[in-house]
Amino acid sequence: MAIEFKIPELGENITSGKVASVLVSAGDTVEENQSVLELETDKAVLEVPSEVAGTVKEVKVSEGDEVEVGQIVIIFEEGQEQAEAPAEQTQDKKSAKQEEEGKEQATQPVEETPTPAEETPDSEQPQTTKAAAQTIEFKVPNLGENVDAGSVAKILVSVGDQIKKDNTLLELETDKAVVEVPAEQSGTIKEILIKEGDQVDVGQHILTIETSESAETKTGAQKEEQTKTETEPSKTETESAPAPKKEEPAPAPQSTTKPKQERSDQGKRPLVPAAPSVRRFAREIGLDIVNVPGSGPGGRIGIEDVKVYSKRLHQQRAASDTVLKGVQAEALPDFSKWGEVDRQSMNKVRETTARHLSYAWTTIPHVTQFDKADITNLEALRKQYGPKAEEAGGKLTVTAILLKIIEGALKKFPQFNASIDMQNKEIIYKHYYNIGVAVDTERGLLVPVVKNINTKNIIELSKELRELSKKARDRKLALEDMQGGNFSISNLGGIGGTAFSPVVNAPEVAILGVSRAEMEPVYQDGQFVPRLRMPLALSYDHRLIDGADAARFLRWVCEALEQPFLLSLEG
Amino acid sequence: MSDITKTHLAVIGAGPGGYAAAFLAADLGLDVTVIDPEKNPGGVCLYRGCIPSKALLHVAKLINETREAKKWGITFASPDINVQQLRDWKNDVVKKLTGGLGQLIKQRKINHIQGRAHFLDSNTIEIINENSDKSRLQFDYAVLATGSRPAKIPALSVDSPRLLNSTSALNLEDVPKSLLVIGGGYIGLEMGSVYAALGSKVSVVEMMPNILPGADKDLIKILKKSLDEKFDKIMVNAKVTNMKALDDGIRVSFEGDDVHQNNQKFDKVLMSIGRQPNSDGLGLENTSVKTDQKGFVVVDDQRRTADPSIYAIGDIAGEPMLAHKASHEGHVAVEAIAGHKVAFEPQAIPAVVFTNPEMAWAGLTEEQAKQQGRNVEVMRFPWAASGRALTMDRTDGLTKLIVDPETERILGMGIVGAGAGELIAEGVLAIEMAANVTDLKLSIHPHPTLSETVMESAEMFFGQSTHIYRPRRKK
Repeated sequence: MAIEFKIPELGENITSGKVASVLVSAGDTVEENQSVLELETDKAVLEVPSEVAGTVKEVKVSEGDEVEVGQIVIIFEEGQEQAEAPAEQTQDKKSAKQEEEGKEQATQPVEETPTPAEETPDSEQPQTTKAAAQTIEFKVPNLGENVDAGSVAKILVSVGDQIKKDNTLLELETDKAVVEVPAEQSGTIKEILIKEGDQVDVGQHILTIETSESAETKTGAQKEEQTKTETEPSKTETESAPAPKKEEPAPAPQSTTKPKQERSDQGKRPLVPAAPSVRRFAREIGLDIVNVPGSGPGGRIGIEDVKVYSKRLHQQRAASDTVLKGVQAEALPDFSKWGEVDRQSMNKVRETTARHLSYAWTTIPHVTQFDKADITNLEALRKQYGPKAEEAGGKLTVTAILLKIIEGALKKFPQFNASIDMQNKEIIYKHYYNIGVAVDTERGLLVPVVKNINTKNIIELSKELRELSKKARDRKLALEDMQGGNFSISNLGGIGGTAFSPVVNAPEVAILGVSRAEMEPVYQDGQFVPRLRMPLALSYDHRLIDGADAARFLRWVCEALEQPFLLSLEG
Repeated sequence: MSDITKTHLAVIGAGPGGYAAAFLAADLGLDVTVIDPEKNPGGVCLYRGCIPSKALLHVAKLINETREAKKWGITFASPDINVQQLRDWKNDVVKKLTGGLGQLIKQRKINHIQGRAHFLDSNTIEIINENSDKSRLQFDYAVLATGSRPAKIPALSVDSPRLLNSTSALNLEDVPKSLLVIGGGYIGLEMGSVYAALGSKVSVVEMMPNILPGADKDLIKILKKSLDEKFDKIMVNAKVTNMKALDDGIRVSFEGDDVHQNNQKFDKVLMSIGRQPNSDGLGLENTSVKTDQKGFVVVDDQRRTADPSIYAIGDIAGEPMLAHKASHEGHVAVEAIAGHKVAFEPQAIPAVVFTNPEMAWAGLTEEQAKQQGRNVEVMRFPWAASGRALTMDRTDGLTKLIVDPETERILGMGIVGAGAGELIAEGVLAIEMAANVTDLKLSIHPHPTLSETVMESAEMFFGQSTHIYRPRRKK
């Protein structure tokens, strides 16, 4: 009996490695757990222990080979046979054994045929092995840009339902559209924690799904049972359909509310202006006709309207899928293996930031331009006029001054005051000047927007900025206070640091990062003089802005800081 | 007997819901068994409801017309009514129809078991046939379509053959001299009309402020005018407080507004106060099926009950208790069982009262719009302006449209007048297709027909009705 020894699981996210050394050779007797190989992975060099005891018959790799998890590396003969062999090494036995070996060698190539590429990839294996009877909290996935909550329009599954990956579980109504939420994994619905009409947030745990072998075998068993009855096809069809079935999800509330709804069939559902054939079509493709906008007279919905709407939903979903792919592809390791951890749910700000910045980072090709502005003179002016701002209730900060300077720069370089519409292949130029300012709050990063900067002077801006920052820290910012920005400023100078590259706040196309100004020796007129220099970083969307323009933009900003008169001259 | 047979789909009850379900299921290739106490399908509708009553109402109409003909210069002698022959003819109609359905069952190779079903569990029923033999049937799915029966008021129940319900009234044992109809719903008014035409002095007592509660008043007004002539009296806001069986009749005590005589003797009394679902005695307690307080089985929009293998359709699944609603539900349930994505979502279920004149409505009523506080525009086309109505000497009619002023969509239609039941189908189609008033106005209607009243009422929306001068109010 030959046993194939394959590269076992090496750890989270490790799928392959390089054979650093082979510790056994043909004929060696190996104990269980004895190291047989050393593998160099991109994380560490690992010793690979044998999972079997026996005699090494063949080593199929040599040092320097790339191997993948699951690849056959050593062929063993099982221990028991081996134990007998040395005791009575008769010629007969030996030849018999050789014969056997010959046979096995003949069959080996066949068994080997699964090339490394065809082997189950590592990422799937932990799921199938560990997943036996694993329950998973199904959370509301991302529903698209800027959509972080929705109300449950329809629940399409019930407790006990078998679901397949990508089966629609529920329909969520967001302020933009009705979105179908698909299952991320196959399994059985264990628990439904929401009901129709509930408000749910992205990330909220709404269903519990058991993904398990047992669930799968159950399906198998059920199917078998059904095949006994002649009319099984229709039943299996309904069984696999994600339609409501089996146990009612929440028996108590449903039984009391449902009859009334059903009694007045005509009253409850709005009278949708669509013919029965159109309504049925929508139902068949899984859309709620109520949400389809009609293009006919009086909003009448035609079959084309349903198709257009469906297409749009799919595009939306596809768009959100592509955004998420890069972010969610990797499974998290079990951190508790290495020490104590605790899990806390993200607050809303964190969640939005994470999603929005992932989107910005993955869709915008970022470049950051660095420069330094000599603000020695500006500081003097700032101190001189500071009291004036104080009188007005503001604070004459560098950020306040920068707001005005950036306004000038945006006027001079209009491509920085723009957005990209990739779908329509258009650039949207804006003729208003709103700038967001990143504010560090207890809850996380918030970016209130100072509006219509062109209509305000620096003192007014300093006052408004102070008010907005306070609002942000007091959690009093309204949604509209954070919308409508064309450009952002992130000033970390108060904390320190020499430089950083900020992420563009999409759909804006550039952001200015400000670091701490330091006194530096500057070589001027044949000697070093101390000058206060402030490092600036301009991250920009390279799709719209070329490097040279970015350099010019940032240079202009520096010059305006150095010679404030420039602002009146050109800004 | 301990026979256990198996079927994929068991349809329990073969009324218009049950047989429609069974037929479609067979057409979809499912293995179907129908269980019903009658020899042939039909249910209450065919045996004891819609069909026999319509046969009798046809006769009533003929009798009325012979009387009206006097105005046109044609005088007929008083009809000589042979009740036996009339009854036979009516029974013959029923027999033909139900026999035809029996044929269709055979042609579709549907397994038909005569008997009553009782659930043992969610997938088994016990069937007791007329000889009290028991057998068992296992099913994957069941469609519950056991319908309803006339409701009774236990306090008013008297043990007398003179107390009729809709079933015994249809048996037409004789033509009583006087008949009291308790309940001014469609059954009471239809049966009252039959007996009145045959010569009975008919009185109606209704608890609510109007007959046909729920229907629009302008339509009722026209119908009531005609019924007032045919009936002895119609008492509304009135109720029966006591009944006492006598040898030669039933003594009834009344209470209420329209009551002139508190105590009156009637030859016969017809109790038609409504119907109650047949959800009891079926062994539903052995399944997970749930019923509400009124005894209706609770269903979802696919007509699936709380028990995943059992569906319910028709009267047992809730109001309105109408045959055509049951058939449609039967189709939905079977398609759902066959795995199609369907739902019961009608936008209009027509209701017809086969009195003379007939009354029919579909979709939103003016009354409902008022209750919902919904802004609607209502067009009323009186049949006095219809050429066809005049040629029939039937100007006692009205066609009305209920329209959404914003989208100009037809939300509802109501008709009172001869043949209203036939005319309403156009309204149903208009509502289901989301037609607007322009669509109705621009569809050419044949002349001279009563259907033109539909087109003309649509024209009224624009102040342009050909046969009525009523300019549109400026907004």
